[in-house]
Amino acid sequence: MQNSSAIDFTIEKAFTRAFQENLSAPAALREARCLQALYPALLPPIEKDDRFAGRTLLMEYRGVGFSPDVTLYSLPHGMGYFYREDVFQRALAAVPPDSAEVAEIREMMAFWREHNTTAQVKTHFSPRIRKYLPSDSFAGDVGVGFPLYRMTGAYENYETLLTLGVPGLTALVAKKQAQGDPEGFYEGLRLTVALLRDCCLAYAGQADSLAEAASVPRQAELAQMAADLRAVASQPPHTFRQAVQLSWLYSCLAGVMDYGRMDVYLGDFLARDLAEGVLTKAEALDAVVGLWRLMVARRTVYHGRVVIGGVGRRNAENADRFALLAMEASRIVHDIEPQLTLRVYTGMNPLLMEKAMAVIGEGATYPMLYNDDLNVPAVANAFRVSPAAAEQYVPFGCGEYIIDHKGFGSPNGVINLLKALEVTLFNGREIVKNEPMGLALGEFAAYESFDAFYLAYKRQLTHYVEVLAEAEQMILARTAEQAPFLWMSLLYDGCLERGRGLLAGGIDYLGATLESYGNINSVDSLAAIRELVFEQKKIAPERLLAALRANFVGYEAERALLLAAPKYGNDDPRVDSLARDLHDFEARIIRDQADRVGLHSFLMVVINNSANTYLGRWTGASADGRAALSFMANANNPVGGMDQNGVTAMLNSLAHFPPEHHAGVVQNVKLSRDLFAKAPEKARALIDGFFKNGGTQAMMTVLGRHDLEEALAAPEEHQNLLVRVGGFSARFVSLEPDVQQEVLARTQY
Amino acid sequence: MERTLNDTPGVITDIQRFSLYDGPGIRTTVFLKGCPLRCQWCHNPECLAPQPQVRYQPRRCTGCGACAAVCPQGVHTVDGGTHALRRERCTACGACAAACPTQALSIAGRSVTAGEVLAEALRDRAYYEKTGGLTVSGGEPLAQPAFAHALLALAKASGLHTCVETSGYAPWASVERIRPVTDLFLLDWKAGDPARHLAYTGVAQQPILANLERLAATGAAIILRFPLVPGLNDTAADLDAIAALLERFPTVDHGELMAYHKMGAAKYAGLGLDYPLPGLDDMAEARKAEILAALQARTKRPFIWG
Repeated sequence: MQNSSAIDFTIEKAFTRAFQENLSAPAALREARCLQALYPALLPPIEKDDRFAGRTLLMEYRGVGFSPDVTLYSLPHGMGYFYREDVFQRALAAVPPDSAEVAEIREMMAFWREHNTTAQVKTHFSPRIRKYLPSDSFAGDVGVGFPLYRMTGAYENYETLLTLGVPGLTALVAKKQAQGDPEGFYEGLRLTVALLRDCCLAYAGQADSLAEAASVPRQAELAQMAADLRAVASQPPHTFRQAVQLSWLYSCLAGVMDYGRMDVYLGDFLARDLAEGVLTKAEALDAVVGLWRLMVARRTVYHGRVVIGGVGRRNAENADRFALLAMEASRIVHDIEPQLTLRVYTGMNPLLMEKAMAVIGEGATYPMLYNDDLNVPAVANAFRVSPAAAEQYVPFGCGEYIIDHKGFGSPNGVINLLKALEVTLFNGREIVKNEPMGLALGEFAAYESFDAFYLAYKRQLTHYVEVLAEAEQMILARTAEQAPFLWMSLLYDGCLERGRGLLAGGIDYLGATLESYGNINSVDSLAAIRELVFEQKKIAPERLLAALRANFVGYEAERALLLAAPKYGNDDPRVDSLARDLHDFEARIIRDQADRVGLHSFLMVVINNSANTYLGRWTGASADGRAALSFMANANNPVGGMDQNGVTAMLNSLAHFPPEHHAGVVQNVKLSRDLFAKAPEKARALIDGFFKNGGTQAMMTVLGRHDLEEALAAPEEHQNLLVRVGGFSARFVSLEPDVQQEVLARTQY
Repeated sequence: MERTLNDTPGVITDIQRFSLYDGPGIRTTVFLKGCPLRCQWCHNPECLAPQPQVRYQPRRCTGCGACAAVCPQGVHTVDGGTHALRRERCTACGACAAACPTQALSIAGRSVTAGEVLAEALRDRAYYEKTGGLTVSGGEPLAQPAFAHALLALAKASGLHTCVETSGYAPWASVERIRPVTDLFLLDWKAGDPARHLAYTGVAQQPILANLERLAATGAAIILRFPLVPGLNDTAADLDAIAALLERFPTVDHGELMAYHKMGAAKYAGLGLDYPLPGLDDMAEARKAEILAALQARTKRPFIWG
């Protein structure tokens, strides 16, 4: 947003002053004073077509600031008191080298390098953590495990916000404060509520001034916006629009990027306004579309979850009305945010599923479907909570489950299973930079059986999981000392009652998740090693290692054998049972860390994002035939094109994974547009069957023109394509290349 | 009895799961190998011969000679990068396919038991719901009557919906045998005129018509399928005959029109066969609409394009 020639450092200076003046003050007070330096100064302007006030704070462009998670260029960039060296460097370059500002900026840099939250946390890392997790950059360096630094994935209690409103929250905080406030926590919260009110009023003023120069219809919109903002500054919301305005603005101010069970907290407002004629259906849809567009503009990259449907809603009928509206809005907006999430369950209003399939069939990708029938008992087990508490599970970000406004589950760590396999095969070395890494557990040629080797691999994994759990606990504990995260704590159940911050004992379920990548490439590699090295002995152990080191150059025959070995995703019991074993082993060892390091839960997640690609760039050639430095398979889906038995076989492989010991495994399903167009009932039967078979989620992508073009360019990577013509028997993989092209052109993929 | 059905042997080319256009719902289609007909437009030529056979795709071949080294019959010779096959010697043992690093060689056809096929079909039971199930196709499934019957009977006993895709060219006894275990017959009608029928398919039309009459008389659920090949069997006279046929058999649910496509053509060379209809193009969408309109002008009986 800012160019280097015009960097205004006023806010950084004010923020730094506020922090330094309160260096020895209680953490809550220090945070509140710092927030005052940021709000409402950082409020971005209301833009031309905005239906509600509130956009992403201009925080992430600052050199310092306070945020649960500054994510830039898809990569985490800091948390809490964050510090961006690059912005400071640009500021330095923009001022005259002999000016007084240079010294001032340099001083600030020296200060924040030491005092930013991430740096503070890292000073407490044990030698063991430093040794085995040497790098923070999963996108930029070799490594098996990486810690992350972000306090993300919070789900606020919007029902509390909308019921109490600003005056109710003010009164509640004051009541607690009157009973004693030794750590300044309530004073911090009081100042935060005041900021919320100030921001409402600041935006109301802005809407007024914008209205002066606006067209007539826009004037009316802005007048409505200003009136709603003034209303919620002084009383709880009374209308649907006011409820949307207050909840949306709160999320923006708090830096919270997932929006909760919106059908529950907005459903009653919607139903009442429609019944009383405050809103027409068209106006309601326009409001939701307007909200969705603001979410699009916010570009949280991996967040933007809006959860609808599911068991455990107090107002299912009203909530369903909102849910239908939400799906229609997603159909219209057709963007990557919000990540609309529909929890489906036995007994759900059939209109919801009908609508969902229609929207998905148009290629919207949303809603993503979650199977409550399986997920609720699984969450109860994995999180060790009651079934009633488990009913309030919500996936955040890329898909990690937590308990709505009672649980917190980041910063997360990252583990690359395929890299762990590499360092086990090469006895404590990695082969991209040829550095020592991980535990040296023995020469590959010396393993007498596949089982012995597999056991060593599991030891390697266990070691990294333990270190990552220790890092995770350390990050949470030390971050808690730095700041209570007032915005988030204010609306998290438990914090107000207990007088403690989110990470400092305020909430019921403080846990974390470990993101696991490379799982399926590891499974396929292990299956190939088992068959070709140990059982059939077609490839000698030394020769396999040489082939991997050489990235298969000169070992094309070995690579062909490895590629032809049985692969996960074909409903092949031998490979799938290996996948199940590895998955469940990993899920259990991760889960078992919680008690060891003192977290309520520590759980595995296997999720969708770009990390599979980033990590792949630092991972050598693997025994499944994957080339060095190339991407790894996403989530627990088969390696691209390796599922050649049709969609049902692929889904059966997916459904093989037991759900009881983890916090979410994303399951992607790609289907052709043809299927939805010609036989929507078959698409539906497919999903119903999958859920009946043990499928917990379905992220459904309808293949579009882009996919077709990709497939035409590289048919060898799309060998899982279906050729479905009445009475015609053909496997894409077995067709001549030119016929593959023809099939692609004809079947519209 | 159950034991016998499970153990009934057969030869198939493939089991195709998630089949969408071989009967109602989501289905698993098993392709039986062997067919007495030689339809010129056949798109499954690997299903013609009753026994497994070697399939060779020259474009995948690197001329490495691994096949020649392992073949006990001397089928393969690789000379200066040119790979020649003496197919008459081949026993389809599969040694070459196992040795081939690029999958240029494979075996079309494998021996299985009905029980094995059913076990795979049952893995998708959750997706069939009430409408989907098992489809027995080919080739001509009734060329392996005991095996076809065993597949259908086992599927039926497991509660699956069953379909047969057949030319109807088989002894009546074979048709009658599968009748009680078949929920839906998808019966092909190749050409209206008996002489052209013989010319295009190599077999007489009369036994097929006789089977259709007898089958319809039992009240069996039937969909008639009409492969339509531009210039061969889509003339006005053919359409007259097709319309008349639907009029004549009111119990036939509807007629399903199957447009010629040339995706099967490339399979021929790999099997050492010549494609009988070189140069023929897929049927154009406009022509499909024209045919449907022409049929509906002749009869009110329903037709759809499959």
